[in-house]
Amino acid sequence: MDVALATLLSPIILFFVLGMGAALLRSQMSVPEAFAKGIAIYLMMAIGLKGGVGMSEAEMSLNIILVLVAGVVLSFVLPLIAYACLRATSRLDNTNAAAAAAHYGSISIVTFVAATEAVRLSGLDAGGHLVAVAALMETPAIITALFLASRGRKADRVAGSEQGELIREVFLNASVVVLVGALVIGWIAGKEGTASIEPFFVAPFQGVLCLFLLDMGLNAGRGLRQGWRSLGPATVAFGLYMPLISAVIATGVAMLIAMPTGDAALLITLAASASYIAVPAAMRLALPEAKPSIYLTLSLGITFPFNVTLGIPIYIWLASLVTA
Amino acid sequence: MAEMTRIELIIERMAMKRAGRVLQACGVTGYTVIPALAGYGRGTQWTRDTDISASQDMVVMISICSPEVAGKALDQLKSLLGSHIGVVSTSPVEVLRPERF
Repeated sequence: MDVALATLLSPIILFFVLGMGAALLRSQMSVPEAFAKGIAIYLMMAIGLKGGVGMSEAEMSLNIILVLVAGVVLSFVLPLIAYACLRATSRLDNTNAAAAAAHYGSISIVTFVAATEAVRLSGLDAGGHLVAVAALMETPAIITALFLASRGRKADRVAGSEQGELIREVFLNASVVVLVGALVIGWIAGKEGTASIEPFFVAPFQGVLCLFLLDMGLNAGRGLRQGWRSLGPATVAFGLYMPLISAVIATGVAMLIAMPTGDAALLITLAASASYIAVPAAMRLALPEAKPSIYLTLSLGITFPFNVTLGIPIYIWLASLVTA
Repeated sequence: MAEMTRIELIIERMAMKRAGRVLQACGVTGYTVIPALAGYGRGTQWTRDTDISASQDMVVMISICSPEVAGKALDQLKSLLGSHIGVVSTSPVEVLRPERF
């Protein structure tokens, strides 16, 4: 309980709540767009480097490989469950349900970063390879969603579309390139090699994260304010119960492969999080008929705030229940 | 001064490259893209900075070409706008150097 309260009352979460509250109250406050994008790149570089350095210090074991495989399998499978839930409970059509489902198989790197801080606050350790799991979980969900959307529908070629543009968007989007790139750089350079850049990437990290979560709060609040009309009660409920379903499944996986508590908490968080960077962009190219006001409001306006405030303490608790 | 047609296409940023390819394939010799800040349409309000993926951002593409090329481009743009969010309009304009278009 103390850990849950400490997470909820940490400056990171409080700044998020401030941003979301300000946006919902129609404050004109905003973080300049280019600055916010710069911060996002900084955070992904910092988390990638940290993960890479962690991986350089650990031996590649069968357990690590199992965790990487588990992440990929979860990303492939979770959209199937999300799609079934949406089709059974909401009025969303095939395309919109598939597009929304893709977001719930992919991951939110900001939720992951917030969870990393919460895990640290709880006195737990997490392996650097979880950053690699995050990167691996970004894209398989998109493939599942495209398969779901294509069933019983003849795909027409969109005017001006080019071969390979979707693959470029999916595998070479900014978050994948920066995260994987920084991970590899951290892995190659190791602790000694990254010592000179540590003052830039380690000490200011928490403060920059506060700034970023303030902006994310503003984004989530504005998204919710502008898009809530697109969602019915069943769709809103989905945004709250789907992360919990994913978390329970990932908890089972973590127990099965005997993950340490800190690692399990992060895997559960990754499974429970919903993408709002890589997948929306891919969906605009692959399924342009799907309404962004539905899937973005769900992932950014409902699931993201739920995860960073209430979800993360629940996921750490779930991990502590089933791991040593 | 020579009479030409100005095509103004407001389209989601993610479809900008597709629209550019359509215009080029139809013989349009150039276009300019301007970012859109905010808007409202079909019951949905949007602003540029809502979405960190920038996938909801809109852009304005402006192009000037002959009326024949514009007619061809509009046919293709109509097909593109069947899938993507956007609005297209044309207007007659006068240009100083028609050989540039």
